[in-house]
This record gives sequence, structure tokens and C-alpha cells, in this order.
Amino acid sequence: MKCQKCQKNNADTHIKRVVNGQFEEYHLCSECAREMGYTSVFDGFSHSFSDDFNSLFGSFFENALPARTQATRCETCGSSYNDITRTGMMGCADCYKVFEDRILPTIRRIHGNTTHCGKNSAAYKKEKTEPKAEIKEVSELDKLKNELDKAIKNQEFEKAAELRDKIKEMEG
Amino acid sequence: MSIVMQTRIRLARNLRKYPFPSRLNAAGKNEVVKTVIEAVKNSNSPLADDLDILYVKDLTEAQRISLVESHLASPEFISDSAGRAIILSKDRTMSIMINEEDHIRLQILKKGFDLEGAYDLADKLDTLLDENLDFAFDEKLGYLTQCPTNLGTGMRASVMLHLPALKSGKAVSRIAGNLQKLGLTIRGTYGEGTEPEGAMYQLSNQVTLGISEKAAIDNLKNITTQLVNQELNAQKRMAESLETQDKILRSIGVLKYAKLISCDEAMSLLSNIRFGISCGLIDDIDTETIDTLIGEVQPATMIVNKREELTPQQRDKLRAEIIKNTLR
Repeated sequence: MKCQKCQKNNADTHIKRVVNGQFEEYHLCSECAREMGYTSVFDGFSHSFSDDFNSLFGSFFENALPARTQATRCETCGSSYNDITRTGMMGCADCYKVFEDRILPTIRRIHGNTTHCGKNSAAYKKEKTEPKAEIKEVSELDKLKNELDKAIKNQEFEKAAELRDKIKEMEG
Repeated sequence: MSIVMQTRIRLARNLRKYPFPSRLNAAGKNEVVKTVIEAVKNSNSPLADDLDILYVKDLTEAQRISLVESHLASPEFISDSAGRAIILSKDRTMSIMINEEDHIRLQILKKGFDLEGAYDLADKLDTLLDENLDFAFDEKLGYLTQCPTNLGTGMRASVMLHLPALKSGKAVSRIAGNLQKLGLTIRGTYGEGTEPEGAMYQLSNQVTLGISEKAAIDNLKNITTQLVNQELNAQKRMAESLETQDKILRSIGVLKYAKLISCDEAMSLLSNIRFGISCGLIDDIDTETIDTLIGEVQPATMIVNKREELTPQQRDKLRAEIIKNTLR
């Protein structure tokens, strides 16, 4: 698609806006978009994080375009890396894992780093605390039971009694 | 506060079970809409018993645009109607766009400058929704969003600023370059590009990954405070000139007596009056009245409130009447 303003370059910036009660949609090249005061989200970062960002982002969108003959696809949503670079959008949550290696450099350029810091979702917190605690408890318990068996076998009754009490306490 | 008109916090969230909206078919989108609405209704949140649900497909063009004019929906959201809905609290402070760029875009909109208050409310609402919904979240990348630019906290915090003095000194575009270095962006609201008629700007954070919600808000708060001080100083200087005083007071005259006022003219003149109140030249009108007026005279919002189609001339006439009646 050609830029609606200069009719020369390819339109790579899509602008949706409301002006004077009208919904408008424009397809512009990045140059004309900038002239009209629209810098794309990605454009804006060129100054802040990396001078070669534009060339990098070019690669995010363009170099990946030649379709790989055996393109990897995300099993969950069917997106290929090509689909992602073409639209600038991930297909689903799993795409981040499937295309992790290829997408991480872009994420770093956008945000300046790649590690979340802030609120965690409840599901994640649960995942992180509960199962691990359980596993730990089970293994601790198993360990004690093994030790008890060993103590009885070796006729270390004092130690065995101690271990038995501990086990009772843990099993509640 | 006279410079900060409103504060907004927006959180992007997605459901783990579904592809992101642009890869989701109509049936899937409708399921997401249903799931989110149920989760909100079943949540123990202040939004649960106090909501309106609007399906984009059921709205007229004017109703859709009016949602954008009132900062409740984005142009992107109304650009497509399939499988899109918005949940709104009765007072419009809380809203949730469903199937915009992400499955959920939760928004808190508050008058004035209250980033912490707005975030607290957004955080509470998000935590309550989280109890009933399985959000896409990754230990390393945080909340997973359709566009990588929102990864991490998924939070966009913004303030709407009225900067007439900095705008007239052509300082805004200069400041914009520096703001980018601080991970912030400034953009004109109401109108086009970098020179909005009403000198109103949206200042927001850009970086969402690797910076906590609190740090992002503190950063935005600090920069906002600095900008406000710069604007107030520039206003003080400008207000001493007879030309500025004439321009401001003349604006009241036009707004009180004009028969036809276009949206651009209204924005420009109301902005002058806001400036006048802020620098102490006008003391019988308050900024809240002006801010309410600015909302009421937006083209689509006028059509929605009037409940009938209006030609551009009818709109300009009605706009003049609304303003005249308020300022009288």
C-alpha cells in the first residue's frame, strides 16, 4: 500500500483518530507521519535507547520477510515469525516462548531491558509458592521417614523416637 | 489543579486461554467478552454492581465517537465492532475495553492530578479480576501483551496537561525530544498533531518492562510537576503583557455573544479562558466549569446528548448556545 500523502513510499504507519467528530484512518509512510506529528511508538525510542534503532526495527519488520520454507509456527495460534514481523503483533501468549530468541533483541530495544519488575499475577504467584512448598514438605517428610527406617534398623531407638515425633508433628 | 486536567491509568491484560484479539475469530472474541463480563460481575469489586455494558455493534457512529471524545475508548477500539464491548462504571471513572488491542484494557480516569489514587483503584480492580480470570503472565516478561511495547506492567499512566504558555512559546516540541529520553511521550489531545487548538497534551510513560508501576508513576509525577512549574512561570510572564490580557478577555466576549462557534474555535477560546483563570486574570469562572464545557461541546458528544442528527451549522449554533448559557 502506498502512502496516502506522498503517494510514493510504502505506507507503514497506520493512524486511527477522531478529529472534529469524525473517525479517520490514515495509511502513511513514516516520513509523512512524522511531518504530521505522528511518530510511531517505535520511532520514539530511537532517540532514547539506541541510535541505530530504526535500522534495527527495519530488520524486525523487513529482514524477516523472506519466508522460511520450513517456518516454525506457534502451535497454539498458528502464527509464524513472519506473521509477527508483518503485523508487529504477537499471536498469543505462547508466541513469546516459541519465538523468544528472535523477539528478545526487539524487546530490549523497545524497553531498554528484558526483565519484568512490578506486580505479579495471582496465578503466577500461586504457581510459584504453593507447589514448591508442597514438594519441599513431601521431600522433607520422606527424608525423615527414611532416616527413621535407618535408625530402627541400626537400633538407634533414641534417635528413632525423636524422628517419629518430628514426623508426627509434620503430618499433623 | 489548573494545569493538570485529568489523570488516567490503563492496564493491559490478556487471558491465557485465548489468542490475542487480532488472531482471534469472532466466536472466540465473543467468548472473551462473555468471560470478562462474568468475571467483573462476580468480582467483589466496586464495579460489579454499578456498571453499564455497551457492545460496539449496538452503538451509533456518534455514540462510538463520543466515547473517544470522553477518553473512555480509543480510536482503535471503535474502528471495528465485531466482538468488542466496553464496561463502564456509572460515573465513568472505571472502564474496561474488551478486545481492543488486548483482551482487557482496564482504565481509571480521574479529574485533576492524582496518579497514586488512580493507580490504587486500577490495582484493586485488577487484583479482583485476577481472582476470576487466568491472565497471561510470564516470570521474566511480566504481563504478556499483543504488542511487545506493553510488556511488563502493561501500564500506561498519563496526565492531561493544559500548556497554553509553553505552546505559544513553541516550547512543547522542544520539551518533547527531552521527554523521550526519560521514557515519556507527549502528544496533543483534541485535534491534530503537535499543535492542538486547545493546547491540551497527554503526557504518558512509554517504558513498561523493567520498571515497576510505582517507579513509572513517580517518574511521571516528577516530570509533570516540573512541567507544571515551567508552565506557571511562563504564564506569569505572559500575563503581564497587555496583548495577552486583551486576548484572554476578548475570548470571554466572543464566547458570551457569538451565534456560531466551530469546535476548533471553541477549543482555542476556552483554552484562553482556562489560561486566564490559571494566571488570575479571571476569577468568576472555575476551571472545572471550563473542563466540563470542553467535554460537552465535542461534536459527537453534542449529537449524543441532543439525541438527534445535527448538520455542521446546527452543531456550531448549539455549541454557541451551550457555552453562552454556561458562561452567562
